[in-house]
Amino acid sequence: MPDVGRLLREKNIIFVTLALALVFYLISPRFLSLDNMSAISRQIVPIGLIALGQFFVVVSGNIDLSLGMGSVLWAIVLGVFFGLTGGVALGIVAVIAFSLMAGFFNGVMVSKLKLPAFIVTLSMLFVAQGLSGLIIPRGQQIFLMGGFFKFVGAEKFMGFYWSFLFLVALYLAAYIVYNHTRWGAYVIAIGNSEENARLAGIKVDRVKIGIFMFSALCSGFAGIILSSRMGFVQPGLDGNGLLLDGIAAIIIGGVLILGGRGTIGGAFWGLLFIGVINNALNLLNVEDVWHQVFKGTVILAALGANWVLWQSRQIEAQ
Amino acid sequence: MKLKTMTAGLALATAFGAGAALAADDTLDIVFINDGHVAPYHVAWLTGFEDAIAAYDKAFEDVKVSGRWLSAEGSLEKMIQQTEVTINERPDVMFVNAINVDAFEPLVAKAQAEGITWIAVHSPMESADYSFTLGDVANGTNQGMAMCALSKGEPFKVGVMLGQAGNPSGEARREGILKGIATCDNVEVVAEQPADWDTVKAQTIAENWFTQYPDLNAISGVTDAYMYPSIAIATNAGNTDIQFYGYDGDIPIIQQMESGQVMADILLSGTREGWNFVQMAYRIHKGETPEKVYDFFTPLVLTEENHKIALEHGFPEDVQVYYVPQALEVAAKGYLEFGPDSVK
Amino acid sequence: MMTSTATLASGTPKKAIDSLMLRYLVLIGLIVIASVGFSIANENFYSLTNIGILLRSIAVLFLLAMGMTFIMLTGGIDLSIGSNVAFSGAVGVLTLVTTGSAALGFATSILAGMLIGGINGFFIGRLKLSPFMVSLATYALARGLALVLYDANSINVDNAAFLWLGGVSWGNMPVVIPFVALVFIALSVLLYQTPFGRDVYAAGANANTAFVLGRRPERTLVWVYVLSGALAGLSAIITVGRVSSGQPWAGLYLEFDAITAVILGGTSLFGGRGKLLGTILGVLLYGIIINGLVLTGTNPYLQSLIKGLILLGVVLLDTLTQKGKAA
Repeated sequence: MPDVGRLLREKNIIFVTLALALVFYLISPRFLSLDNMSAISRQIVPIGLIALGQFFVVVSGNIDLSLGMGSVLWAIVLGVFFGLTGGVALGIVAVIAFSLMAGFFNGVMVSKLKLPAFIVTLSMLFVAQGLSGLIIPRGQQIFLMGGFFKFVGAEKFMGFYWSFLFLVALYLAAYIVYNHTRWGAYVIAIGNSEENARLAGIKVDRVKIGIFMFSALCSGFAGIILSSRMGFVQPGLDGNGLLLDGIAAIIIGGVLILGGRGTIGGAFWGLLFIGVINNALNLLNVEDVWHQVFKGTVILAALGANWVLWQSRQIEAQ
Repeated sequence: MKLKTMTAGLALATAFGAGAALAADDTLDIVFINDGHVAPYHVAWLTGFEDAIAAYDKAFEDVKVSGRWLSAEGSLEKMIQQTEVTINERPDVMFVNAINVDAFEPLVAKAQAEGITWIAVHSPMESADYSFTLGDVANGTNQGMAMCALSKGEPFKVGVMLGQAGNPSGEARREGILKGIATCDNVEVVAEQPADWDTVKAQTIAENWFTQYPDLNAISGVTDAYMYPSIAIATNAGNTDIQFYGYDGDIPIIQQMESGQVMADILLSGTREGWNFVQMAYRIHKGETPEKVYDFFTPLVLTEENHKIALEHGFPEDVQVYYVPQALEVAAKGYLEFGPDSVK
Repeated sequence: MMTSTATLASGTPKKAIDSLMLRYLVLIGLIVIASVGFSIANENFYSLTNIGILLRSIAVLFLLAMGMTFIMLTGGIDLSIGSNVAFSGAVGVLTLVTTGSAALGFATSILAGMLIGGINGFFIGRLKLSPFMVSLATYALARGLALVLYDANSINVDNAAFLWLGGVSWGNMPVVIPFVALVFIALSVLLYQTPFGRDVYAAGANANTAFVLGRRPERTLVWVYVLSGALAGLSAIITVGRVSSGQPWAGLYLEFDAITAVILGGTSLFGGRGKLLGTILGVLLYGIIINGLVLTGTNPYLQSLIKGLILLGVVLLDTLTQKGKAA
């Protein structure tokens, strides 16, 4: 009996998401149709990539505000290379290389120079926004045609979009790294106390740089997938919306923002929750002005729930 | 280190501003303050404006034509600041695409006191010298009536994608589209949703509609920005039966009419509008007085074949229609209608 | 690291002030350089009218940035202030429209601002949750409530008393500027002359030590966010006066402008270090740059790039000078 209570508390996000899905299903039976599930699975991919990158940053006790606008910039880099060469290979290489470099830069600023991650990544948000318009001739659109974009944006394997399978694979890999490697343990240790981590002989700076490189790479992947799905790129895409949804997903998934806590599974369920909400607000024709109220309330409630959970754990521990 | 970055930034900024001064005997300085600069329509608009300024300056020996545009990036406070600063610069003509006209009433008086001609863009203002309007309701009605005619009396389901809640252009276009659709009984609006002028949001909405309403026949939008991502989703899903009804006259969208996915569009064309601004300013400068409420000429675009079908199904004969080749020509080349030759 | 900041805060206050003084001199220098640069590019820059425009356009930013300074001194952040300007403005304007009383409108606007601040303060101070996350939630919530209250449309305001503060100028001097100066003096007294002000610095220098010393950072934190909310409510009144209407999208992006200005002004994001004077200089410098970029008609993408580089440059400078001192 106490086990059930504990399960309900610890895995609350799973039950909430499932309950919500049931409610939406009762209102609109089409909500649980295969088509709609598959639509949700595709819509969450860019958010999911950014959330995964943010997960490691947040668990280590930092924040990366540049991920959303970054993914818009990377989408445009891909588009510009496609426009110049007519092919994708060089563009992909460029996105991966540049995003890793940007992450390295963020990491060095935060670890070696001890600058606050909030400010560094906020500046990078502005820089990415500026570059996204400056590198594309007169701000025009570039259309992306060809097999690669169709494959990434729309092809399925056994009923699942490839992009979704890629996301799942990345979460699985992250799960293994986070739970079963020393690097994962280092991330948690740094989030709990950087001093102690340093005293324990962990090369804190190097781990931090790695974290920011990984998060930037995730935003590079998000840019590639976003642009493939859209079939064109343009500077005005809403990068900050992606960033906020990504952060909301991991808060709802129970990642404690002060660092050192959180599970990959929780982040994934938080992501599904965001996907379900975004989809259902559309399907149910909820008036637009209520969307923000709804999201803000949900995030506050999730924060409150995390707090209650944390308190009860403290009591259990005593 | 920081000093270097700062001065570099300032030097860059200075370099950008340098082109404005220099005196000639007769000068015409035009400033265009817009609410944004990133949507495809905005990009074409500002580009057309820049090109037209350069062309007019080159074409007329006796007048030095100069101009610049500013983007408020969606922020009302920023737009007010930009307008105040610009009034203090005393240009000859200001085009202001006000985010909210009520907030700009006091500034119109201030500008006029400085001898500046104020042209309200899209949302008309009583106090402004001129208002440059689009006829959004009439255009929307044409789009809706085209849908009625092209559905040939069969049962027909459509989803309408709206602008940001409260935006006057978006509201007027919506009103028109619904009015046009109401002229027949067979077309049913199954969903309406604002996509906030945002392409990513539009794509999500389109995808959700396709699953929610598998028998959806068409998507109608108040801007072509919604068409690109919606068409991409439909094409990738192999759904070629769905029809699209656009608004803006973006060239890539008109081009997709021949393949039969896009059925109708409204030929604003940002490029044309930018050129028309400069032509209007020049005419005023030369002492002409345009209509106080100047209506931008915005025909409906159809293929010739579809126009015939539409006429057979009760589409009114008096609605002005451009066919695709003509629309493409005019949309791309703003100087055909509004270039220096049009006022020589 | 922890001990070193603690000693810096309590043991050697003189040194900390010296480095801040240096910072202010640098800021004043930058303000001069920027002004000269822009006045070369555009002769109108120095005109009295332009200075009036400049001051009026940053009046709201002065208030919000001072509130943000208190918060950042405690090591926190408040992302909700921009949305809060829209929300508290909505409450104020609707009260004005329904009751016809400007005084009630002022009061409810400020109370509504304090309400959002109170929610932030409760979650951040009492529940010890992350300021970033909590204020991110209220950022969405307050904007959403503003949209709902206005039903996404603007409301015209023609009550002269309500519009006075934000709308009226004496010659080229907007009346709001002396008002901002009064608020600055009041907040300076609060921060430097009262136990509350000492608690703010203590809470930022080290939350645990402050608790041990019998100061209750919880309560201080709650009040700091309420203060920031009240300033947002005040800013809402000024904004309504400036645009003679209530606007659902008022205050967009102001939180980032305020944070940038406070950082420029030398307040540390880690808390415990900084002064209101620095914030005033930071807002001035930021306002001059934005005004100059408008005057010169700079491409907005280039503006973003410049903004990002300046922000990064300033924190870099901070760290480098701090490091030089330590060595």
